[in-house]
Amino acid sequence: MSSSKRIAKELSDLGRDPPASCSAGPVGDDLYHWQASIMGPSDSPYAGGVFFLSIHFPTDYPFKPPKVNFTTKIYHPNINSSGNICLDILKDQWSPALTLSKVLLSVCSLLTDANPDDPLVPEIAQIYKTDKAKYEATAKEWTKKYAV
Amino acid sequence: MSLNIHIKSGQDKWEVSVAPESTVSQFKEAISKANGVPVANQRLIYSGKILKDDQTVESYHIQDGHSVHLVKSQPKPQPGAAAGTNNATATGAAAGTVATPNMSSGQSAGFNPLADLTSARYAGYLNMPSADMFGPDGGALNNDSNNQDELLRMMENPIFQSQMNEMLSNPQMLDFMIQSNPQLQAMGPQARQMLQSPMFRQMLTNPDMIRQSMQFARMMDPNAGTGSTGGAASAFPAPGGDAPEESANTNTNTNTASSPNAGSNASSSTAANPFASLLNPALNPFASAGNATGTGMPAFDPALLASMFQPQQASAQASQPEDTRPPEERYEHQLRQLNDMGFFDFDRNVAALRRSGGSVQGALDSLLNGDV
Repeated sequence: MSSSKRIAKELSDLGRDPPASCSAGPVGDDLYHWQASIMGPSDSPYAGGVFFLSIHFPTDYPFKPPKVNFTTKIYHPNINSSGNICLDILKDQWSPALTLSKVLLSVCSLLTDANPDDPLVPEIAQIYKTDKAKYEATAKEWTKKYAV
Repeated sequence: MSLNIHIKSGQDKWEVSVAPESTVSQFKEAISKANGVPVANQRLIYSGKILKDDQTVESYHIQDGHSVHLVKSQPKPQPGAAAGTNNATATGAAAGTVATPNMSSGQSAGFNPLADLTSARYAGYLNMPSADMFGPDGGALNNDSNNQDELLRMMENPIFQSQMNEMLSNPQMLDFMIQSNPQLQAMGPQARQMLQSPMFRQMLTNPDMIRQSMQFARMMDPNAGTGSTGGAASAFPAPGGDAPEESANTNTNTNTASSPNAGSNASSSTAANPFASLLNPALNPFASAGNATGTGMPAFDPALLASMFQPQQASAQASQPEDTRPPEERYEHQLRQLNDMGFFDFDRNVAALRRSGGSVQGALDSLLNGDV
């Protein structure tokens, strides 16, 4: 199956030279079910936290995007309490040329720069827009509580 | 043969060589020698997993030339100075495991309203009520006044009061309270307003108020008045029987006289309510107060408070437990969750939610089993 070949290739690339702030690999023997971790970017309120994600590759990967969910609670306008991520490249903007490593890097940059104009959690987006200091304080508190 | 492993932390990079069969803690010591980060402050991540100290390096299939991420954590406060600190750290650790919910199990499961009670900041000085607050039978029968006194003592504790205040200002807690009580749910947005109003808070936190409402309850409910033994006897009180309860009895008497059911009702106080409210709505607030004392927790019974604030409306709803709102409104929250999970068939979703009584978990079971 071509999808498993492609996933195995991504796995070996990730082991050899992972991006600075993320890491990922299969949970067990199933090549289609991975877990990943993202280290909170130092210039964000998530600094110092390690956030875990679960990744499911569809059998027609890379023609369909992987399903990526946070399993660690995080306070962010584009990530809801079930861990769903609102990110265009995980939906309609997916391209077979993208890799999981690029997806994780995009999630990282989403942590640094949230997108409050396309929110998944409107309440947090509202606070993000009107009271940035409060948003940062809450995000820091959640990071300390759940991701350290 | 040893492995050369790259250690990455932000922009920094080190190379450490380690034997495949060595443990992760030995590996951490080697890293500590290379970069000076104390072993206790290291978190190592490979392949999306945190490396556990007691496992070996090869068990994680780390290969020669691969990279491992290092996250430096803040040094943990050293336990030991005072007994209190010890206690706090221990509780904190326990609360940590409780408070990290598995998000895949759904939103409602993520919120534990009692988590705060076990968190470190309350450790050591919280006077939890003793178990016999609920009586020897666990609160199944009407309890006696001793237990109510204990509850009152607890209410007078300033720490408990500040906790109550904190709980009530937590919007998640309010949601939880409203959702878990059908009567409050039926009240709609008013319930939230009521719970947030300062007057309501005062009621919940002011011991005098509670004492008063308890006395009311004891006076008005024939079962509570005479204790759990005399339930059946008090259903037919002698005219002008107990002198101190004169005023209460006049009410109870009219009730008994006008209702052929009252005799059997009064012997089981829960069944008494719907009928009582049909006959005499004004009596209802205290009737439900009687039930509340039965459970030993009058302060937390939203039905009591709801009916005290809005006797007419609440009694109408008490006598008509069936929720008449359209399903898309009643199950709005649950339907959205089901939609998020990819169940888009409105009719099936509603049918499944009806069957499960509004529980998303139950509805999912029926949907997946194809029962609806």
